[in-house]
Amino acid sequence: MSNPHELSTSVHAGTETIAAKPAMSPLKRTFIALLHNRLALTGLIITGILLLAAILAPVLAPQDPYDLAQLDIMDGRLAPGGESMSGLTYWLGTDTQGRDLVSAIMYGLRTSILVGLVSAAVALVIGTSIGLFSAYAGGRTDAVLMRIVDIQLSFPSILIALIFLAILGQGVDKIIIALVVTQWAYYARTVRGSALVESKRAYIEAARSMALPDRSIIFRHMLPNCLPPLIVVATMRVAYAIMLEATLSFLGIGLPVTEPSLGLLISNGFEYILSGDYWISFFPGITLLLLIVGINLIGDALRDILNPRREG
Amino acid sequence: MTRPILSIDDLNTAFKVGGEWRNVIRDVTFDIAERETVAVVGESGSGKSVTAMSIMRLLGPNARSTGRIEFEGQDLLSLPMDLMQHIRGNRIGMIFQEPMTSLNPVLKIGDQITEVLMQHRGMDQGKARAEAVRLLDKVRIPSAQARLNEYPMSFSGGMRQRVVIAIALACEPKLLIADEPTTALDVTIQAQILELIKTLQQEEGMSVLFITHDMGVVAEISDRTVVMYRGDIVEADTTERIFRDAAHPYTRALLSAVPQLGSMAGEPRPLRFPIVDMRTGEAQPVKPTADTVRTDEAPILKVDHLVTRFPVRKGILQRTVGNIHAVEDVSFELRKGETLSLVGESGCGKSTTGRSIIRLTDLTSGSVTISGRDVASASKTELASIRRDAQMIFQDPFESLNPRMRVGDAIAEPMVTHGLVNRADARQRVGKLLEQVGLSPAMADRFPHEFSGGQRQRVCIARALALDPKLIVADESVSALDVSIKAQVINLMLDLQEQLGLGYLFISHDMAVVERISHRVAVMYLGEIVEIGPRQAVFENPQHPYTRKLMSAVPIADPTRRRVRNISNDEIRSPYHDAGYTPAPLHYQEVSAGHFVQMQAVEKAA
Repeated sequence: MSNPHELSTSVHAGTETIAAKPAMSPLKRTFIALLHNRLALTGLIITGILLLAAILAPVLAPQDPYDLAQLDIMDGRLAPGGESMSGLTYWLGTDTQGRDLVSAIMYGLRTSILVGLVSAAVALVIGTSIGLFSAYAGGRTDAVLMRIVDIQLSFPSILIALIFLAILGQGVDKIIIALVVTQWAYYARTVRGSALVESKRAYIEAARSMALPDRSIIFRHMLPNCLPPLIVVATMRVAYAIMLEATLSFLGIGLPVTEPSLGLLISNGFEYILSGDYWISFFPGITLLLLIVGINLIGDALRDILNPRREG
Repeated sequence: MTRPILSIDDLNTAFKVGGEWRNVIRDVTFDIAERETVAVVGESGSGKSVTAMSIMRLLGPNARSTGRIEFEGQDLLSLPMDLMQHIRGNRIGMIFQEPMTSLNPVLKIGDQITEVLMQHRGMDQGKARAEAVRLLDKVRIPSAQARLNEYPMSFSGGMRQRVVIAIALACEPKLLIADEPTTALDVTIQAQILELIKTLQQEEGMSVLFITHDMGVVAEISDRTVVMYRGDIVEADTTERIFRDAAHPYTRALLSAVPQLGSMAGEPRPLRFPIVDMRTGEAQPVKPTADTVRTDEAPILKVDHLVTRFPVRKGILQRTVGNIHAVEDVSFELRKGETLSLVGESGCGKSTTGRSIIRLTDLTSGSVTISGRDVASASKTELASIRRDAQMIFQDPFESLNPRMRVGDAIAEPMVTHGLVNRADARQRVGKLLEQVGLSPAMADRFPHEFSGGQRQRVCIARALALDPKLIVADESVSALDVSIKAQVINLMLDLQEQLGLGYLFISHDMAVVERISHRVAVMYLGEIVEIGPRQAVFENPQHPYTRKLMSAVPIADPTRRRVRNISNDEIRSPYHDAGYTPAPLHYQEVSAGHFVQMQAVEKAA
């Protein structure tokens, strides 16, 4: 047997050059690219602040809006900057119940973001699995699954959500279920598309020729290469889920009054807008707007960064 | 002495990369005289195409060229864009590598030619049409008149390239720039196109600037040759002198790595390529290969009457209306330590044969036995264990590695899943494998994009070796590599065959490489083996007309052996047949020990 070392020296004498690019994980590379994009950075900052406000609500909020003992009906509908009987300043005013709007918004954000993230995550897992399976199985299975997706996508999301909530009733868990039902098809469609492209590529063929089990071909080889478009869709869908939940709550069929989300806060103040007490609806509305815009800015930038045509 | 048509002086082209200007070609200087063919040759990244693009000023705003490009007394670099537009296509014609992408797929061929004629030569519709027919006749497209109304998709690759040439000739240019015009074509078609370019050059009195990576093509076509290496001209001389006694070590290294058809006459066994040092130009002596073929053991691969057809379905009911007969009645055996090459042009079924053998494609009938186990009837678990014995190496090393997986993990994965080693030992074994293919174990932590093409193919070989296979199916495994890298990878494959007694099924369209590496050769045409036998017998005494045609089409990297060739303008036929078609049974005649030739219809009838 010839000495492998001798072999390797003859190789390095050849013309091959070793690319000197430092190894950087794709995740880190994407994040750095995000920071270099001005719009994305704005989006990250807005979303970050709102996220922190939501997470730290119990610590930061001047008042617990659920604790009826802290509320005073006498403070109801105070204008922004107004002071309470106990000397507390309501920077964004109060609602009809005398609730501090700053606190209510922080807690509302909590609910909205929680519902958005959880429903998007569940829909992502379900949709991705179905999409991957559909692409890998192909043939009749693929056709049937994709027709279901077609049917699902041909109904407006809000209609499907309305029907489900009418059947299930109110509650955080119920609205999450409704949102998952309306969203999974988008993920399935996206993942199936990119998985189909990937499954034709030689490395999948190579994996098959090495007799790797299907499970590892799907999850170790196909899935990581389908992630870029999935991440973009997921970001946009979180924003959409939050908006849909706000719409449903605004219509009064989403969350119960005891767990007010941003949508419910807007709806609460709606009837007073014309009587001049604009702030009860206005500030939760602005917050919702900022959150959606922030997330969408990140999503847009991700779409540009992860676009395969951009990679040289 | 007459003035040259094109005179390039100190041409530098730089690209803007991340805010910095990076020089891609440096001080390129050469002339093209009237009626002369100059070849610019080099490997990928040598700057040969950038040179061509710079002349035409086709590079985008991210590039900048300095120096002087004098064409018919005008400096092209200082010409305003609208005047340049007039030169392009009018005085200088250009043809590219990929004929499909240089034609507009939704416009009829005739319209694409007449458009140029009306635009540049101010002809009216009727005149332009007559001229278009004349041009198509000129590039030897049969029944030109009728084909004017067809779309590019109904033309074959070679015919498309002819159309592109016709368009380039439309304005009777003084200079034709051909950028790898035959690289995407089959070897018999390549020979036709090269022949056509030579004839046209004489008829039209053009000069030709020919860009290529193929030393064989250079030797066939050019009067003078410019050798480029990483953006610099290393040598420029007459083609004869370059091939006879090249001065620069790089040129010599390049030439020594070029496999030459016929150079193996009298050699009983495969031969390594001499590796020439890039600095000194000295060649290391070649170690002869050992006799690795184990005739004493049962063959590791037996293919018996293999048939693979792909149904073509049409209509709402998806009825099968016909079949692509990709592989028809193919039989052969392969022994341990032996290399059998399947050689043929695109669409001849060589790749499908390889894929059917490890059942990446299901076979229609016949049987394949690997180490005594039947592949066709194997269950999923049996197939998994068969695939441990038979591994595949693909053409494109970048495509066949998962881009998001470190190569160490990619190599370890099959071993771990098949339970050969546990995760802890895997790392060590990966290091050993990487060393075995000439890489360093530390490279295990890198991603595929951090390797060069040749290194990536080494990684693929290491991964194929991970399962300790007996048989490796190498599907065009060296075709995408630059010539010097190709030589190194082939040497590696020969080393591994000696060390591990591997059997190779080497699938390739490159006759010269096949001659170098194989013990036995099977020539395929339209899904059938037309000739099979020991390499020496097939190459030195080809019997079947197709084998002869294939061999005469291979360009020879030796300008003194340039021949007048009689090249028919045949196209490769289609392997499609309507449903219900049964091919006639094949009969073979043994012309010498182990050398079988398919008998032709005439002989069969006799």
